[in-house]
Amino acid sequence: MRRVLVVLLVVLGLASFSLAQTTVRVGVLLPISTVAGKAALNGVQLGVDQVNAGGKVKIELVVVDDGNAPAAAVPALTKLMTVDRVDIVIGGLASGVTFALSGPVKQYNPLFLCIGAASSVVEQAFSDYGRFFHYHPWDYHNVAAALGFFKSLYDDGARRVAILYEDGPFGSAGIQTYRQQLQNQGYTVQAEPFKSGSGSFTAILTRFRSFRPDILYWIGYDVDALPIAAQTRQVGLEPKLIYGAPPAWPLGFEKNNLSNDIAGMTAWLPSVANNESRRFVNLYRRKFNEITDEYMAPMGYVIALSLGRAAEAANSADKDRIAAELARVQMDTPFGPLSFKPSDTGRTRFQGFNQSIWLQFQYLEGSRRPVFPANRAARPLRFPGNY
Amino acid sequence: MELLLQTLINGILAAGIYALVASGLALAVGVVGIVNFAHGEFSMIGAFVSYLLFVSAGIDPIISLGLAAMVLFLVGAITYYGLIRPVLAAPELNQMLLTFGISVALQNIALLVFGADTRVVSTSYQGSTIALGSISFGVPPFAAFVLSVGLLGALYWFLGRTRLGFAVRAVAQNRLAPGLLGIETQQIYLLAFGLSAALAGVAGVMLSVMLYASPTVGFAYTLKAFAIIVMAGLGNLRGVVPAAIILALAEAFVSTYVPGGGGWVEAVFFLVIFIALTWRSWRVP
Repeated sequence: MRRVLVVLLVVLGLASFSLAQTTVRVGVLLPISTVAGKAALNGVQLGVDQVNAGGKVKIELVVVDDGNAPAAAVPALTKLMTVDRVDIVIGGLASGVTFALSGPVKQYNPLFLCIGAASSVVEQAFSDYGRFFHYHPWDYHNVAAALGFFKSLYDDGARRVAILYEDGPFGSAGIQTYRQQLQNQGYTVQAEPFKSGSGSFTAILTRFRSFRPDILYWIGYDVDALPIAAQTRQVGLEPKLIYGAPPAWPLGFEKNNLSNDIAGMTAWLPSVANNESRRFVNLYRRKFNEITDEYMAPMGYVIALSLGRAAEAANSADKDRIAAELARVQMDTPFGPLSFKPSDTGRTRFQGFNQSIWLQFQYLEGSRRPVFPANRAARPLRFPGNY
Repeated sequence: MELLLQTLINGILAAGIYALVASGLALAVGVVGIVNFAHGEFSMIGAFVSYLLFVSAGIDPIISLGLAAMVLFLVGAITYYGLIRPVLAAPELNQMLLTFGISVALQNIALLVFGADTRVVSTSYQGSTIALGSISFGVPPFAAFVLSVGLLGALYWFLGRTRLGFAVRAVAQNRLAPGLLGIETQQIYLLAFGLSAALAGVAGVMLSVMLYASPTVGFAYTLKAFAIIVMAGLGNLRGVVPAAIILALAEAFVSTYVPGGGGWVEAVFFLVIFIALTWRSWRVP
């Protein structure tokens, strides 16, 4: 009889524990065939492991591939909402894809936790949607961070900037503003468009030669990185700094000698020295037996942790109660402190990070090293670089 | 004057890789009579062969050229035997849809296996430069040009000086008559399609050195190759190098001398196709 009572008590105890645990079903919509998308997914899964280990909230993930293309992303979101019936979606890495998702998101009304999508076109598209939490900085934050770096280069004697920008929405959207702001800093600017992926830069770079730029600044994609690095040398351009702003860098680029001294911008590197970053690196290495340079990994991790914290505070799986708690979240992250405020333009209500998370790096001896701002630099910037 | 000379050199060297891709396509069109939309994907496979040999065994892409050519010859031969041969007698639209399907399938297989990311190899000569006074150019595009001229020279020699080459030309001119003379038409087709794929593979290896390896690397070059073979005259191998030089020079001049020309450069080949087709339609009564 006593044994039966003990068993009953244990069962009741377990039952009450499971009743206290909030289960949240979350859709994850990412381009998992890309390095950035896979890193983001790894980060989300790592964060979910941490939340679930806490015991108060259980997050269940339903992962779908957005194919890095609107044509694949919209049906994938529709499946998440109508078949998997999730109320919360983590996704929106690429701006073009996220812009295409704005209509279906407003149709199905999930709590949308946006991991990337820096274009202010996306900000405009979600301006009337109250369940939109944007963690990544907007493009004007990116510009502000890059301009801070360019100001320091001006102080170091740089005067002429040659800008190579791809002629699609990514490269050409803010080029006039950018040009104007660089001129306001005192730079002389020459800007030329190019077709991303063409691999043909010799003609434009030859024309830049008479301009004798101190900085060659290219705004394009990973496919352009190696041809630009090689052809800059081949035409004898010899800038003092090559600065690139692609959304991702090619795999193996750091091992190529041509990458040496090329600078760029990222939100995080494993060498970033703060407690949350170190903790993330340890957890990531333990789970995946490797570490990544992709800042989308800690971004995914931060989203999962903040969601877990909000769900715990809400003590409910209801998306609106979770959204209300998420709006109040304040936490330390590998990028620095996170809290949500209206965006700088006032178009969206919940903006997470701003320009303060960006750091400038330089490829030095086969890896990316933070070089700016000074308080986060691991190495001094090599300026002029050797190209 | 210096800018003009540099632009001329830039254009002529760019023609090397164009001619390499286009000559394979011209062979497939001229001999087998098939418009192969998957030709660029054969280049993509060549680029990945080079990349895989580099990352797994540290083999320099220049050494992988021969192996990539053999692998692609095999891929081309299998593609011909399994997919192209059954539709040779079918309407041209069916053939084009088939090769378009092969192109999409190969791209998606590459996406599944390698993902969408761009991958680069690392060699000591990628940034190497040859300087002649104030004019300079890169070693890889120069090597691609020399390789292209050499391979096309060898191809012309093969077609013009060997019995097998005569047989290939005979089949290209008439599908039925060579069979009556004892020439195995199917084997000639297989050889030509395999050679076409091998040339694309060699071009792919050079692309891995000069640009990158990715599932879409061959696409842009297929479009340019079509412009070149249209300009040269469909199936005319001897016209490929001059046509490639004209296209590459046109791109270089637009890019250098037209304000904002870098954004227009990809439109040049459409203009070339338009002009070539219009000019031909006026010439033919």
